[in-house]
Amino acid sequence: MNAFITRLGKAVGNVVGVLYQAGRDAIDMVIKNVLPFIAFIAFVIGLILETGVGEALADGLSGLASSLPGLLLLAVIIGLPVLSPLLGPGAVIAQIIGVLLGTEIGAGDLDPALALPALWAINPQVGCDFIPVGLALGDAEPETVEVGVPAVLFSRMITGPLAVVIGWLFSFGLYS
Amino acid sequence: MFDVLADAATEFISWFQRGAETFNGLVVGIVPLLIVLLTAVNALIALIGPERVNKFGEWAGREGFAYTPIRYLVWPVISVFVLTNPMAYTNGSFLPEIYKPGFYDSAVSFVHPPLGIFPHVNPGEFFVWGGILAGITELGLNESDLAVRYLITGFIVIYIRGLVTEWFTRRLWATQHENAPAAA
Repeated sequence: MNAFITRLGKAVGNVVGVLYQAGRDAIDMVIKNVLPFIAFIAFVIGLILETGVGEALADGLSGLASSLPGLLLLAVIIGLPVLSPLLGPGAVIAQIIGVLLGTEIGAGDLDPALALPALWAINPQVGCDFIPVGLALGDAEPETVEVGVPAVLFSRMITGPLAVVIGWLFSFGLYS
Repeated sequence: MFDVLADAATEFISWFQRGAETFNGLVVGIVPLLIVLLTAVNALIALIGPERVNKFGEWAGREGFAYTPIRYLVWPVISVFVLTNPMAYTNGSFLPEIYKPGFYDSAVSFVHPPLGIFPHVNPGEFFVWGGILAGITELGLNESDLAVRYLITGFIVIYIRGLVTEWFTRRLWATQHENAPAAA
């Protein structure tokens, strides 16, 4: 009986220890990686929204979104290696253009069948601002980061517009 | 004179107030869920044993074209679904260095396509999907049609992105190592 209680106590203690350590790791990760990123993003988003830069940019780009060639051009522009890291943070630009396009679809100015290629066209820059951090989270060596950042950015020049074409192919029969 | 200064000060501080609202929204909206989810997943991984998860990662990191769907489709999808943005990228640590950029590209490209069905993967960036969705609902159309197609095209696109990025990584890696001895 004594032995059983000892074993039970040890097993429970072990599980509680694992859970407690898991909580400690989670808090560590949030404080070291997530919160600093949120602080940075909040600053950038505040600046973009309050100065009107974001809206001006989104207004200019949403004119392109009414046809497939326009969407392709949009993806090419957003996917440029110089622009993509600047447009990435917090997916602010993608969300602003997304909301604008959604409004136009709702108003009947834009074909709802184009919604799928549009979802891909507003987002070729996804994560381009975050490559060094993302690779560091994956324990990458500094040499890998040095190679990985341009590799992802160059790759997006091809796969950004390609994703729009794939989205367009899969939009056949959608809302028609 | 003082009015102008006061207006300028209001304008100046408003930039940061908007940022503070955003900060508040992200911390309240994402961080609590993230902490609880992370704790659960950390505990799960600790109880399963990291060596088994490691093994799957090693499996995903093997040479040969046959393993690319594991590396750039199965592994990133599991990572994003279980760990969500931005924790999913930590699973790159199980792969050899040369595959990490491709894995990151696949994983990060998968943080929006599931939003129509599994919003837990990236609630902070919901409006990438939600913005366009709003137009579809406005017209009274079925949103699941679009959600499912977005998810399926997501599978295809992230696999292609992984492959293309791996190709660029190899090329750039070769150039770097060629130049390194010359520079030294």
